[in-house]
Amino acid sequence: MDTLPLLLGTAWLLPLASFALILLFGSRMGKAGRGAGFVATAAIVAAFVLSATALTVWLSAHPIEAPAGHSSATADSAEHGAAAKENHAADTHASAGETTAAKKIIPPVAGDWYELGAFGTKRITIGYYIDALTIAMFFMVTMVASCIHIYSFGYMHEELSEVTDHQVTLASGQHLHRRGRFHRFYQYLSLFCFSMLGLVIAGNIAMVFVFWELVGICSYFLIGFYIERKSASNAANKAFIVNRVGDFGMIIGLMAVWTGMGTFSFGDYEMKDAQGRETMRPGIFSQARPAGNDFQLQAPDGMVKFAKRDEIAEIVQKSENAADAELQIEKRIDGWRKDGFGYGWLIVAGLGIFCGCVGKSAQFPLHVWLPDAMEGPTPVSALIHAATMVAAGVYLVGRFYPVFTPEVLMVIAYIGCITLFIAATMALVATDIKRVLAFSTVSQLGYMMLALGFGGWLAGIFHLFTHAFFKALLFLCSGSVIHATHTNEMPRMGGLLKKMPYTGITMLIGCLAIAGAGIPWIIGLSGYYSKDFIIAQGLVYQHANPLHGWLFYFSVAGAGMTSFYMFRLWYMTFLGTPRDKHVYDHAHESTPSMLVPLVILAVMSVISGWKVPFTNLELPALLTQAIPSGTEEGAVSNLTKFYIPAEHLSHESGVHFFATGIAFLMALLGFVLATAFYGTKRLDPNDARRTFATLYRIFIHKWYFDEAYQKIFVRPALAISGWIAWLDKNGLDWIADNSARLMGLCARLDDWFDRKFVDRLIDLVAAGTYRLGIRLKALQTGSLRQYVMLLAVGLAALFMIMNFYWNFAMSKM
Amino acid sequence: MSDFLTTLLSSVIFLPALGALLLCIVPIRSDRFIKQFSLAVTAVVFAITLWMAWPASSANEPGRFALGMANMQSMVLHEWIPSWNIYYFLGIDGISFPLALLTSFLSVLAMGASWPIAKHVKGYCVLFLLLETGMLGVFMSLDFFLFYVFWEVMLLPMYFLIGIWGGPRREYAAIKFFLFTLVGSVLLLVAMLMLYFNSDLRLLGPQQLADCRVVETKDAPEVQNILKDAKPVHTFNILALAEMGQAERSPFAQALWLGKSVSWWAFLFMFIGFVIKLPAVPVHTWLPEAHVEAPTPISMILAGVLLKMGGYGVLRFCYPICPDAAYELAWLVCGIGTLSMVYGAFAALAQKDFKRLVAYSSVSHMGYVLLGIGAWSAYAGNNYNADYWMWGMNGAMFQMIAHGLSSAGMFFLVGVIYDRVHHRNLDQFGGLFAKMPLYSGISVGIFFAALGLPGLCGFIGEVFVVLGCWSYSTALAVLAASVVVLTAGYILWTIQRVYLGAEYKGPHGDAITPITFRETAIAVPLLALAVVFGVYPKAMFDYMSPSIDKTVNALADWTRGHEKQKSPGDIIIGGVTPRIIIQEEEEEKLNPMMNDE
Amino acid sequence: MELLTQPIGLSHYLVVSALLFVCGVACMATKRNLLGVLMGIELVLSGANLNFVAFGSPYLQSKSLGMDGQMIALFVIVLAAAEAAVALAIALNYYHTHATVDVDKADELKG
Repeated sequence: MDTLPLLLGTAWLLPLASFALILLFGSRMGKAGRGAGFVATAAIVAAFVLSATALTVWLSAHPIEAPAGHSSATADSAEHGAAAKENHAADTHASAGETTAAKKIIPPVAGDWYELGAFGTKRITIGYYIDALTIAMFFMVTMVASCIHIYSFGYMHEELSEVTDHQVTLASGQHLHRRGRFHRFYQYLSLFCFSMLGLVIAGNIAMVFVFWELVGICSYFLIGFYIERKSASNAANKAFIVNRVGDFGMIIGLMAVWTGMGTFSFGDYEMKDAQGRETMRPGIFSQARPAGNDFQLQAPDGMVKFAKRDEIAEIVQKSENAADAELQIEKRIDGWRKDGFGYGWLIVAGLGIFCGCVGKSAQFPLHVWLPDAMEGPTPVSALIHAATMVAAGVYLVGRFYPVFTPEVLMVIAYIGCITLFIAATMALVATDIKRVLAFSTVSQLGYMMLALGFGGWLAGIFHLFTHAFFKALLFLCSGSVIHATHTNEMPRMGGLLKKMPYTGITMLIGCLAIAGAGIPWIIGLSGYYSKDFIIAQGLVYQHANPLHGWLFYFSVAGAGMTSFYMFRLWYMTFLGTPRDKHVYDHAHESTPSMLVPLVILAVMSVISGWKVPFTNLELPALLTQAIPSGTEEGAVSNLTKFYIPAEHLSHESGVHFFATGIAFLMALLGFVLATAFYGTKRLDPNDARRTFATLYRIFIHKWYFDEAYQKIFVRPALAISGWIAWLDKNGLDWIADNSARLMGLCARLDDWFDRKFVDRLIDLVAAGTYRLGIRLKALQTGSLRQYVMLLAVGLAALFMIMNFYWNFAMSKM
Repeated sequence: MSDFLTTLLSSVIFLPALGALLLCIVPIRSDRFIKQFSLAVTAVVFAITLWMAWPASSANEPGRFALGMANMQSMVLHEWIPSWNIYYFLGIDGISFPLALLTSFLSVLAMGASWPIAKHVKGYCVLFLLLETGMLGVFMSLDFFLFYVFWEVMLLPMYFLIGIWGGPRREYAAIKFFLFTLVGSVLLLVAMLMLYFNSDLRLLGPQQLADCRVVETKDAPEVQNILKDAKPVHTFNILALAEMGQAERSPFAQALWLGKSVSWWAFLFMFIGFVIKLPAVPVHTWLPEAHVEAPTPISMILAGVLLKMGGYGVLRFCYPICPDAAYELAWLVCGIGTLSMVYGAFAALAQKDFKRLVAYSSVSHMGYVLLGIGAWSAYAGNNYNADYWMWGMNGAMFQMIAHGLSSAGMFFLVGVIYDRVHHRNLDQFGGLFAKMPLYSGISVGIFFAALGLPGLCGFIGEVFVVLGCWSYSTALAVLAASVVVLTAGYILWTIQRVYLGAEYKGPHGDAITPITFRETAIAVPLLALAVVFGVYPKAMFDYMSPSIDKTVNALADWTRGHEKQKSPGDIIIGGVTPRIIIQEEEEEKLNPMMNDE
Repeated sequence: MELLTQPIGLSHYLVVSALLFVCGVACMATKRNLLGVLMGIELVLSGANLNFVAFGSPYLQSKSLGMDGQMIALFVIVLAAAEAAVALAIALNYYHTHATVDVDKADELKG
C-alpha cells in the first residue's frame, strides 16, 4: 500500500515530463515534430501501465468480496425504510450501526508531498488522497487518454506538413497557409493529462482548485488550438470565462471551508502542535462526519464558532486569557450545534464547491460553453469535453459528497434535472454531429448530478465511468466521420455505413450503450447497468419525497430522449441515401491508428458493467469500496421536510425490477421513434418540425441562453467598464486636472495681488524715501555761514536735550 | 562586524549613486559604454543582494540573511544629526529584504531593456542609477527621517525620466506623477513630524530600547540618560515608534483634533500618502498616464518596484505604529482595497491602449495587497486567532513580489512590440503568434501569471489574500472573489486581440521581427521565476513569513489588550481613551485611600 | 549775579571762556569774509583753551586736571596754528580761482 503514492505520483508526473520535453524540444523531435507524438503517447501509456499496477496492488490489499452484504441489507431494509421515514436520529443511528458493520471502512491512503504555505496552525499542501475511486479514475483517465493519443496520430496527420485552413480568409481573399503544429497538440494533451491526474489524486480541496484551473487552461489551449480562427479563440475565451464564474463560487466555498474547518485536507493529516509533537489533525471529512457521531453529518466546530461570533466575542471579553476563553467556548459548542448554528455555513460551503462543479461540468446555468467548445479538434472534444474534464465536476461532487448537506443535494438534483432536460431537447434538433454529442454530454452529466442528488453515490459515479468510455467512443467515431467527409453537418451525410463499416459498427455500439440497451433483467451494455442504478435510485427518491417526484419523471423522459437523438444521429449519418454526392464520394474508412482506439473503447463500452469472469471483480463493486462513510445511510434534511434515501434501498430486487423495466421501455420508445423518423422514414421530421414550430425554434436556439447572457452579463459588463473608464478619465482625472487648473488660477490671482498691492507698497516706500531725500537735499545750500549756524544751533539743542533727559545710569547700559 | 555590515548595506544602497557620480564626472563619449557600465553597476548591486540572500549556514555569518529570524537583521546604526535624534539606521527583515532583492533584480532587467534609448544616454543612466539608490534606500532604512529622504530622492529622477524620454504627453504625465506623489509625501511628512514630536523614549523599558537599537545593550549607560531625562526624548527610530504605538499607554493616544487622536491622524495621513503610491482608487489616476507615457524600462521599474513602496509603507509604518487607528479604520483599508480590485478590473476591460490596460490591471492587483493587509481577522469573535490574518498578510506580501515580476514582464513585452510597430492600439494587433512565436509564447505565460493561473506566481498571492478575508467580512470576500471573472475576461480578450488571429492588419507590419536575444534574456527570467514561485512559493515564504507572522501576532495581541481596556464603563470618544480617564486612573492609583472614605 | 560779587572762582573763568566761544561762533556765523570766519574759529579755540586751563588749575578746584589741562591747551594752540595754516592755504587757493573771499559766493557744493 505504501507503493501506491509512488505509483500514482509517477503516473501523474510522467505527462508533465512529456509536456516539458515537448515544450522545449518539440519542433526538433523527429520530422516536423512527429516524435512529440511518440513521447506523449509513451508517457500516457506508461502512466496507464502504472495505474493498472496500482489497481492490482489495491485489489490485492482490499479484495472485493462477494456481494453478500445485499441480503443482510434486504433483511433489515423493511425496518430501515420505515426508520428512514421517521424524523428520529436515534433509530437511524441504531440501524446505521448494523449496516456500517456490514461494510468495511477502508482507510484511504493520504499524505502530503510538499507544502505550498504554512502559517500559524494552518497549512496548504500538495498531497494525495488515494482510495478506490482515485485508482479507478486513474485507470479510466489514462486508458481513455491513451486511446485518444493513439487516435490523434491519424486525426492530426495534416499538422505534420503545411496546413491550409479553409475556415480562415485573409484580407487578401486567400485562405490561410501556416506551418503545422503537430507537436503543440501533444504538448497540450500532455499538460492536460498531468492536470487531470493531479485533480484526481489531490489530497485537499485547494489542490483540486489548482488543478481545476489548470485543466481549464488546457481546455482553453486545446479549444483554441486553431488560433487563427476567431470562432475558436472566442469559444476558448467563453469556456474559460464561464468556468471562472463557476470558480468564483468555488472560491466562496473554499473560503467557507477554510474558515469553518481550518484545513483543506480531505483526510486526516499530521502536524506539529505548539509543543512540537506530531499530532493527527482531522481533515474535512472527519470534521464533517466524525466517527464519534457515527459518521453522520454535523456542522463542524469551526463553522459553529463562526456562526456564533458575537457570543464568542462576549465570552472572550469576560475571560482572563485565551486558554480560558477556549475552554468556555468548547463547553458550549455542542449546545450551539444542536440549536442549528453553523449548519448554514456548511450549506454555503457545499453550494460554493458545487458552483465550481456547475461550471466545469457544464450544468445549467453555466452550460453555454460546452457546445461552442466543439471548435477544438475532435480528439480534444473526446478527451476533455466528454470523458475527463467535464467529468471532473461530477468526480468532485462524488469526492466532496460527505460534506454536502441534504439541502445541497437537493439543489444538485434540481440543477442536474434541469440540465439533463434542456440539453436533451437541444440535442433533439441539432444538425452538427459534434453538437449533438456535446448536448448529449451535458445531458448525461446532468444525469450523473441528478443521481448524486438523489443520494445514489454509486449510481452517479458508475455512470461517470461508463459514460467516459462510450462518449469518448462516440466522439472518436464522429471524428472519424468528420475526417473522412470534411464536414460536421449531418444533413450532408447519409449512407456512410457502406463506406465506413468499422466506424459505423463501433458507433452503433456506442449508441446502444448510451441508450442503455440490453436484454432486460439479464444482461446489457455498460450504459444499461449505470442507467439502471440511476433510475432505481430515482424511484426510491420519488417514493420517499412525492413532492419532488417530478425530478424522477423528467429523468425518465430524458432517458427516452437520449435514445431518440442518439439513434437519430446514427441513422442520419450511416443509413439512408447519401444526401451530398461530393461528401459521399470522398468518404473513406480511417487509418488503423484511428480504428484501434475505437475498437478498444467499444469493447470497454460493452464490458465495463460486467464482472471479470471467475472473479468478483466488477466496477460497481470496486467503486462501492469508495462510498464515503456515513453516506450509505439516507439523510434527513434539517430545514425542510425531505429525505435522501439510502442507496442500498435501490438495490432491492423489487425496485430494481421496476427500474430496469422503465429504463428499457423508454430506451425502446426512443429507438422506435427514431427509426420511424429517420430509419424507415415512416414519419417525416419536417412535419414534426412544423407541428412543434415554437418548440423547435426554442430548441434550435439553445433556449436563447447565449443571447440572454450576452444581454444580461456581457453587455452590461462592457457598459460598466466603459462608464468606469469614462469616470476615470472625465471624473477623477477631471477633478485632478481641474484642481491643477484651480491651482494655476490661484497662482495667477496671487501674482495679480502681488503686483497690484505688495509691489505697489514697496514702490510707495521707495518713492517716499526718494522724495524725503529730495527734501533733505534742500539743506545743502553750500553756504558756509549757514553750516556754521546749523552746527551751533544743533549743538545747543543737543546740550539742551542731554540736560533734561540724560542720566548717568544710561551710560552703564 | 558593524563596519562590515555598514559597508555592505551602504554599498548596496550607494553603489548606484557612486556609479552615477562617475558617469557625471568622467568624460565618456561612447553611448554603448555608458549603458554597459550602468548595466555592470546594477549587476554588481544585484550580485551583492543575491549574496546576502543566500541563507546563512551557521549563526556567525554576518550580512547573510538568516531564515527563520523574525526580527530585524544586519542592523547598522550611526549618528547623523544628533540634535534631532536622527540616525543613519539601516536594517533588513523578511518584509523589506525580498523587496530589496526584487528591486535590484528588476533594475538589472530594466537596464537591459534600456538599450534602445538613443538620446541623452548619459543623463538617462545617471538618473536611473540615482533612482535605484533611492529605491534601495527606502527599503533598507529604519529611521523615519532617512526613509523620507530616500523617498524624496526617488521622485526627481522619475520625473525627468518620464518627462524627457517619454511619449507624446510626457510632460503632463511627469508633472502629474510628481504632484500626486508629492502631495502624498507632504502628508507623510506631517505624519512623521506628528509622531516625532509626540514620541517619547522614556516610555520604553531598557530591553525594548536595546531591541530597537536605540542603545547597544540594555545595560549601556545611555539607557539611564534616556530614562532619566527631564524632557521627552523624541525619536525617528521606526522600531521604537512601533513599540510605543503598541504599548498600552501609547503616547500617540492623546486627542488631537475633532476628537481623534494623534495616532488616528498620523495613520490617516500616512495611509493616504502611501496609498497614492500603491495606487488605490480614487487617487490612482496618475498611474495610467505615467505608464503610457514612460519608456518601457521606466514602466517596468514603476510597476515593479515603486508601486510596492506603497504597500511596504502601509505594512511597515501605518500598522505597527498606529494599530488603534488601523483597527478602527480597517473597514476603510479593506473597502479601498476591494474598490481598487473591482474598479481596476472594470476599467481595464474598457481600454483600447495596450499599456493603459496593463496599468489598470496593476491597480486591480494592488488592491489585493491592501485587502490582505487590512482584513483584521483577529478579533474577539474568534478569540483573537491570528491564523487567518497571517494568511492574508503573507498573501499580500507575496502578491507584491509576484506582481512585481508579472507586471514588469507585461510592460516589457508591450514595449517589445511597441518598439517594432510604434503603436499600442489593441484593435490593430492580431496574428502575432505566426510572426513572433517565442515572444507570443512568453507573453501568454506572463499574462497568465497576471491572470492568477495556478502554477504561476499570481495565484498564490490572490488566493491567500482572499482566504484570509472571509473571517473579516464575508461580503468583501465575495466581492473580491468575483474579480477573478473580470480578470480572466480582460486578460483573455487581450491575448485574443494581440496574439491570436490570422494576420496582423495594423501599421508597420513588416517591422515585426522575431524576438531578439537581448529581449529573450530579459523576459525569460521573469517567466521562469513566475513559474518557480508559483510551484514552490515556500522559497519566498521562508524569507518573508517569520517577520510577517511576528507582526501579525503582535497586532493580534495588541487587539486583545486593546479590547480589554474598553470595558463598558468608559466613555470612549472616537475610539480613543481620552486623557481625562488616563489622568483619573493615575490619580486613583496615587490616592487609593481617598476613594475608600 | 552772584558771580559779580564772589571772589574769582572757576565759574568766572568758564563764563569768560563761554563768552569767547559764543563770540567766536557768532563771528563764524555772521562774517562774510573768509578771514573773518577764520578769526572766529580762533576765538572759539581760545575760548576752549581757557576752559581747559581753568579746569587744569589747582588753585581753582581741588580735583583738577592738573598739568593735563595746560597740555591740552598747548595741543589746541598747535592744532589751531596748523589748522589756520591749512585754512589760509584753502583761502588763498580759493582767491586764486574765484578772485573773492566772500563765503556767500562759495556755494558750489550745493546739493
